[in-house]
Amino acid sequence: MMKRDLTLAIILVSALGAAVMLSRWLDNRRTSTAASLGEEQLYLDGATARRLTLGFNGLAADWYWMRSLQYLGRKIVNYQDTHAGQFQLNNLSTLELRLLPQLLEVTTTLDPQFIAAYEYGAVILPEVNREAAVALLNRGIAANPSSWRLYQHLGYIYWQNQDYEKASETYAAGAKLPGAPAWMTAMAARMKADRGSRDAAREMYRHLAESSSDNAIKEMVAHQIMRLDALDERDLIRKLIGDFRAETGRCPQTWRELANRFHGTRLRIDSLSNAPVDPTDLPYRLMNNGCDVDLDPYSKVSR
Amino acid sequence: MRVQTIAIARNAFREAVRDRVLYNLILFALLLIGSAIFLGELSAGQEAKIIVDLGLSAMLLFGAFIAIFVGVGLVYKEIERRTLYTILSKPVGRGQFLLGKYLGLSLTLLVNVAVMGLGVTLALVYVRRGWDPLAWKLWPAVLLIYAELLIITAVALLFSSFSSPALSALLTFFVFIIGHFSADLKMLGANSSSLATRWLFQGLYYLLPNLSNYSVITTAAHGVVPDTSSTVAAMAYAVAYIVVLLSAAGLIFRRRNFK
Repeated sequence: MMKRDLTLAIILVSALGAAVMLSRWLDNRRTSTAASLGEEQLYLDGATARRLTLGFNGLAADWYWMRSLQYLGRKIVNYQDTHAGQFQLNNLSTLELRLLPQLLEVTTTLDPQFIAAYEYGAVILPEVNREAAVALLNRGIAANPSSWRLYQHLGYIYWQNQDYEKASETYAAGAKLPGAPAWMTAMAARMKADRGSRDAAREMYRHLAESSSDNAIKEMVAHQIMRLDALDERDLIRKLIGDFRAETGRCPQTWRELANRFHGTRLRIDSLSNAPVDPTDLPYRLMNNGCDVDLDPYSKVSR
Repeated sequence: MRVQTIAIARNAFREAVRDRVLYNLILFALLLIGSAIFLGELSAGQEAKIIVDLGLSAMLLFGAFIAIFVGVGLVYKEIERRTLYTILSKPVGRGQFLLGKYLGLSLTLLVNVAVMGLGVTLALVYVRRGWDPLAWKLWPAVLLIYAELLIITAVALLFSSFSSPALSALLTFFVFIIGHFSADLKMLGANSSSLATRWLFQGLYYLLPNLSNYSVITTAAHGVVPDTSSTVAAMAYAVAYIVVLLSAAGLIFRRRNFK
């Protein structure tokens, strides 16, 4: 009896091992096909998917939502595997996220109250397909007319597109909704007055981060604010270089020559090299024989 | 009369427990625990919504399977084992027998749904690292899911009163699916130019249970509580529909020849 049990157990384990090995072999053979299938259009549009899910449309929406996240994540990983350096979120257009608009469309048709999906679309989609991003947000507003945050995101897309009039109108429309914060009205005015100024951008990003619970959005905003800070810092350094040049008739060859001029400015200085540092603490570089300044090539700040 | 019905109900509940029907709760618990642990990495801050979606959907799906597969066997098993003859030789009416069986399975489903609801609540508290208002806002949805399961159980019982378990399960499953398409039936009728077709679809719309009244899982996951009047109306609709189904089952069962 014992011997027979042992034989059966050995057969079971061996067969399981064989099944695992065969499965891995089949998976390896399938890789190339799977990669091409991954970019295939979805079989179902949102409305059909909603109908077919019976009462489980929320769960299906969650599935498509996680698929959207995985889709972007996989693209970033593939990009990093094939390119040098860190991937930056303002480089989304290089990822060729063809399926993303459709995935988000299905997600939000299955669950029209899925605000996080609209927010994600507002931040990621404009780089991929601006029209799809605007359409997604307009659908979101139609399904959730009392959500001021969707107006904020739509205003953000228009602002990115430098359509300041529409951005202002969208902020103003959102500001009228119950529960909308007072800064929505201020942003509506600012869109018209300051248009593409860095201060307006900084304020927009700050509000975007404050009103979102999504860590990816907060991270994107942090990067954008660092980029704006670095732009301001480089402008300031260029001005100091210009002053030095006006006084001495030449450009500075080392940061040490500008050290005195850095005092009293908001630049942060590396105590060893006397070089001003960018928001990621990497020193700026003097370019063009000391007449210009740029980020360190390894800096994570977007250009 | 009431005592016999309660005795049959209690026995049906005990039988379901003995048949390990409630073991599905273990699978449900594993599903929720797994989701609560892994969703954080996959859902980009949407763990709470997905936990509620997943928990309530699993509650409906597991409940529907129990209602269908246990429901269709309620009567058949008693006939197969010939225990029905013993029961009916006592002062127990056929209607009482059916009602008792129905109440027994309803009690099983109630325990199932209540434990699952508690499980979802605890999973929510876990992923939120504390109390979340969503944890109590999901309970009206749990109530409506239970009402839907009661209707499915009654449908299963009706089919099993005159048909084989396999066919009953299949028919009940069809009713479950069509019940969620009832809005389409109405629309098909309204869009038809033929009067006969319009009447046919309208008739089917009112004849088949409208289970979309109980589809509140998606909104519940956003913390939206269905308004009291629609919840009460949906519950009243469930009661009315169950009365219709059980009466029809009783009528058929009373005429059934067991020789």
